[in-house]
Amino acid sequence: MKLSNLKGCAAYMALGLGIALSASAASAEDAPSWCGPNKASLALLDGFGGNSWRLVTTASGKEEAAKCPSITDYYYADGQGDTQKAISDINSMAARGVDAMVVFGDAGPAILPALTKAYRSGAVVVPYRVNVGGEAGKNYTRFVGADFVYDGESWGKWIKENFPDGANILFLSGPAGNSQGLDELKGMKNILDDSYKFLNPDPFAVTNWDPSLTQQVLSAAIAQHDNIDVIVSDFGPSLVGALPVFANFDRSIPALATSDGNSLGCFWEKAHADNPDFKLFTVATGNDNVRLAVQWAIAEATGGTPPSEEIFKAPNFEDSTDGDPNPVQCRSDLPGAIYLSAQLSGDEQAKAVGQ
Amino acid sequence: MAETTPHSFGGSMGLSSMSLSKGFVTIVASTLALILLCIIFAPSAVTAGSLMGSLPFAAVLGIVGLGQMLVVQQGGFDLSVPGSVSLAVVIATHMPNGQDAGLLPALIIAIGFALAAGVLNGIMVAYFRLNAIVATIGMNALLFSAVFAISGGVPRITTNLLAHIAGGQTLGIPHSVLFALAILALVSFGLKKTVAGRRFEAIGANPKAARAAGLSVKPYQAMAYVAAQILYCTAGILIAGITREPTAFQGNSLLLPSVAVVVLAGTSLLGGRGFPISVVIAAFFLNQLSQFALSIGVPYSAQTIVQALALVFGIGVYSIEWTNRFKKEQTSSTEEENHETV
Repeated sequence: MKLSNLKGCAAYMALGLGIALSASAASAEDAPSWCGPNKASLALLDGFGGNSWRLVTTASGKEEAAKCPSITDYYYADGQGDTQKAISDINSMAARGVDAMVVFGDAGPAILPALTKAYRSGAVVVPYRVNVGGEAGKNYTRFVGADFVYDGESWGKWIKENFPDGANILFLSGPAGNSQGLDELKGMKNILDDSYKFLNPDPFAVTNWDPSLTQQVLSAAIAQHDNIDVIVSDFGPSLVGALPVFANFDRSIPALATSDGNSLGCFWEKAHADNPDFKLFTVATGNDNVRLAVQWAIAEATGGTPPSEEIFKAPNFEDSTDGDPNPVQCRSDLPGAIYLSAQLSGDEQAKAVGQ
Repeated sequence: MAETTPHSFGGSMGLSSMSLSKGFVTIVASTLALILLCIIFAPSAVTAGSLMGSLPFAAVLGIVGLGQMLVVQQGGFDLSVPGSVSLAVVIATHMPNGQDAGLLPALIIAIGFALAAGVLNGIMVAYFRLNAIVATIGMNALLFSAVFAISGGVPRITTNLLAHIAGGQTLGIPHSVLFALAILALVSFGLKKTVAGRRFEAIGANPKAARAAGLSVKPYQAMAYVAAQILYCTAGILIAGITREPTAFQGNSLLLPSVAVVVLAGTSLLGGRGFPISVVIAAFFLNQLSQFALSIGVPYSAQTIVQALALVFGIGVYSIEWTNRFKKEQTSSTEEENHETV
């Protein structure tokens, strides 16, 4: 009895504190222009929430929504990689009368009917990052995509700058045929001419973004090709386990153009002295894609001014050759599985991934 | 071979008799053929550097395969491989949180979980007579829930100590290979040279006859699941060390290969004799096959087809009527050899 009273007391205190904190946070700074005067509730729907990138992204979305005092309620649902659950999450949020939904549509077009239904029932629906098919204004309010061609172009420019006379490139991406990898390749080919040779089977070496498969693919590639000048990968941290394979061949780790991750930055700091060719260039991993989507959803739902951008373009993040825009970043006091390119502070990210 | 043949026929299941098993001969011949193919078409796949990179994964598959073999020997299937391996990976990386001092307690806890899962599997299958596939699928889900409870699906980076123990090399040999060989020796010895091991195989071959002979069948059947879990756990810990930044679902890709190596090694899916050495060689074979496919640079679709064809071929060797067709010739020739040597 006594204990439960205490518990209840603590809960009320925590609740009060939380309300006070969030109220002060919202009123401390002026509401951004995308935050209009009308009250609205917002739901963030994830297709799969079980990795550090998603946890950081979810926390980023929540932080972005908290900037707008017009948002009265904030919900989150995790589809757990199950298409059925993702669909029923969308349906139940619509039934609950949520005003705006931001949806990571991992299942692709499979969730389009649920999105369309929610949109027609009057909710603002903003799918982001993964293409779900359909049309803006008909099936949902707006699609806030990520520009992977732009990522490819960023890598291409860096490669051209550092290897002006051509280079041998090994390009690693995720599952066979994934559209992200195809777009990135397109971007690189926009920049690089025929003097740049891709060593991998067309269009990219398949790694499923799995570190152990990456390691096997990489050791086969290293054995097969004597001179790999640049490795391009769209998931940098998955290479950390694989790059030491070069030592088995008495070769330096080559230049690497990829996306950022704290573990990768820290790996570079440790390894670059022994590996003279190991230059590192990263673009932001794109956690902030969700912020743009949240801004759109809130602007539409609360009557604010929508942001000018519709597509998220990942900015360059680290460059070990000239430190522009940043030298390589490593926070060894924080977990490896966080992304220093995200706006969310490193400590907040550490909290988000539960460490 | 000529010297040991008569004795091992008398003992019927000595260590040496394994070298005569059809599975062993087939898998060794296939592996040698594959190595030859590699040398001709993809020499880079058999260079020392390439092997250093790929052998650790063969070693892990070999260990998982040995666990699966023990279960298959009792006529079961263990589908809890993914959960079990992933849980070991997660515990070995999450609990120490990068600190070497936390490694030992984490490993003990991982083994504790493996024991508990194994005992539960064993009780469900051996004592409650649940179908092994159903029981272990359920266990797999339970293990994955533990993975989520511990990690939230977020992996952590391996401690330096574990990376050194599992991912390091001694005299140019990856440690994981040494672990696999040691475990192979242990399993072989336990199965073939101890009383318990002999009973274990006899029970697998025919539980009813074993029961009639006065053996207590259930504890042995249950032990298969416990020992298997310990092996999966070991494999998971090794993966955690080999891949510096593992995912929380590292076991997922091991389930089918674990069954494949057991089948390729010639183990009957109805239970009975196990062939530990063949299982480990089959693990090397499968791994080398994917390295071969990668090295000849074929598209991913073709890589998958090559591996599937090899499996079909491997399984076809055992399941199609080859045995009956050539049985007469084979037995008569072996008899002749025996007469010559005796």
